[in-house]
Amino acid sequence: MIELINVSKVYSLKGIRKVIFENLNFRFEQGRNIAIMGPNGAGKSTLLRLIAGTEQADRGRISRNVCVSWPLGFAGGFNGSMTGLENVRFVSRIYGQDTEWVIDYVEEFSELGKSMRLPIKTYSSGMKARLAFGLSMAIDFDCYLIDEITAVGDANFRRKSKQALEQKLDHSRIIMVSHSQETIKSYCDCGLLLTHEGLTYHDDVESLLRAYNESCA
Amino acid sequence: MRSLLTLQLRVIGALVLRETRATFGTSQLGYLWAIVTPALGVAVFVLVFGAAGRRPPFGSSLALFFATGLLTLEFYKKLSTSLMTTFNANKALLTYPCIKETDTLFSRSLLISATYLVIMLVFYGTLVLFQKASPPHHPDQLIVAFFMICLLGTGVGIVNAVMLSIWESWSYVESILTRPLIIISGVFYIPSSLPPAALNVLQWNPVLHLIEWFRTGYYSNYNSTVLNKEYLFLFALLILLIGLIGERLTRKRRAGQ
Repeated sequence: MIELINVSKVYSLKGIRKVIFENLNFRFEQGRNIAIMGPNGAGKSTLLRLIAGTEQADRGRISRNVCVSWPLGFAGGFNGSMTGLENVRFVSRIYGQDTEWVIDYVEEFSELGKSMRLPIKTYSSGMKARLAFGLSMAIDFDCYLIDEITAVGDANFRRKSKQALEQKLDHSRIIMVSHSQETIKSYCDCGLLLTHEGLTYHDDVESLLRAYNESCA
Repeated sequence: MRSLLTLQLRVIGALVLRETRATFGTSQLGYLWAIVTPALGVAVFVLVFGAAGRRPPFGSSLALFFATGLLTLEFYKKLSTSLMTTFNANKALLTYPCIKETDTLFSRSLLISATYLVIMLVFYGTLVLFQKASPPHHPDQLIVAFFMICLLGTGVGIVNAVMLSIWESWSYVESILTRPLIIISGVFYIPSSLPPAALNVLQWNPVLHLIEWFRTGYYSNYNSTVLNKEYLFLFALLILLIGLIGERLTRKRRAGQ
């Protein structure tokens, strides 16, 4: 259960003030997989970071009583001069996981082989994404926050990721930011449309996609 | 409450291990250098002053007198300058919601303190082993003095980190401002023997009290007339408080950068 209560978020840089959210209220119902759609710059990723807790709201409160993942989708949390193995070990430690088990899982899943023992800065972006995705799948969260990542790697890896994510859906929920109607249809059962005018909730995906297409037109 | 505490300890533990790897590299040589460098620094001073025929200002060992001053000062400076760059070095970590910037500060402070504990044990242990010095006479005072260095160094380090995040020239200003410390902190002389006019000014310097406290703990009869433990303790607490308040107030600003 995640709830946003009167959340406001403003970015101001070099004297330019940009209001992202003002007095936003929303309750993410338990048991639903929720899509977040909207044009660029509407605040989708910001919303995900607020839910994760990596960013603080200016005003208001976000309450969560489930274990929420970090926003998956980019390898931002990796230290480039440390090896893949060391990064994996670090993350599994902060989440209190069985480190050896996580390492085995990620090695198997990401198919990085010997590269696991090389510094991350030598990785291609595809390799980094594979490592990041494998790592997030190794840890059990109640709710996965996903920011446009399902299109990572080659066909084989994509099939594998899809399988892993679908397996997670048996006992975990997802909140997903994506522009891909395909992806949204296959993972989500309701959604939020975030536009510059504000936020609207759609109880089924068809209505969400319709509204999304209208807002883009 | 209990689970919050275990989370905090888990995060700090993982950060210390990560920081260890980042600081010392993968080779054992890295650890060795970290321990040997400060000791060699003291040795150079001892050799130079010894060659110049200088007698120890207090006690019978030049090495012990300089070490109680120099190692203390270096430990303090290491904390106060290394913590300064923590925010920039650990930006990527904030991807993980359970890591807060204060965790990165505290874990770096812990690692530096642990390193200096080893440095001091090895250095003073070696002096005692080769009978260049007697063992410390008031170990309890020495332990408290050690914690005072941690407290003051961490407090000043956090203030530095906050200052640097507000104003990027702060690292240069700080290095200029703290350069006189080696002269005004009683590293090479006994502050109690200074003329009152000089003492009136120098006794405001908290680092001088750190060194005085450390020497009071090591020697049997150092009898400092300058040392004011309450002043040092309150100063360190106040600075730490200012640092933490500053961190809280500037947190949002850093997130937007």
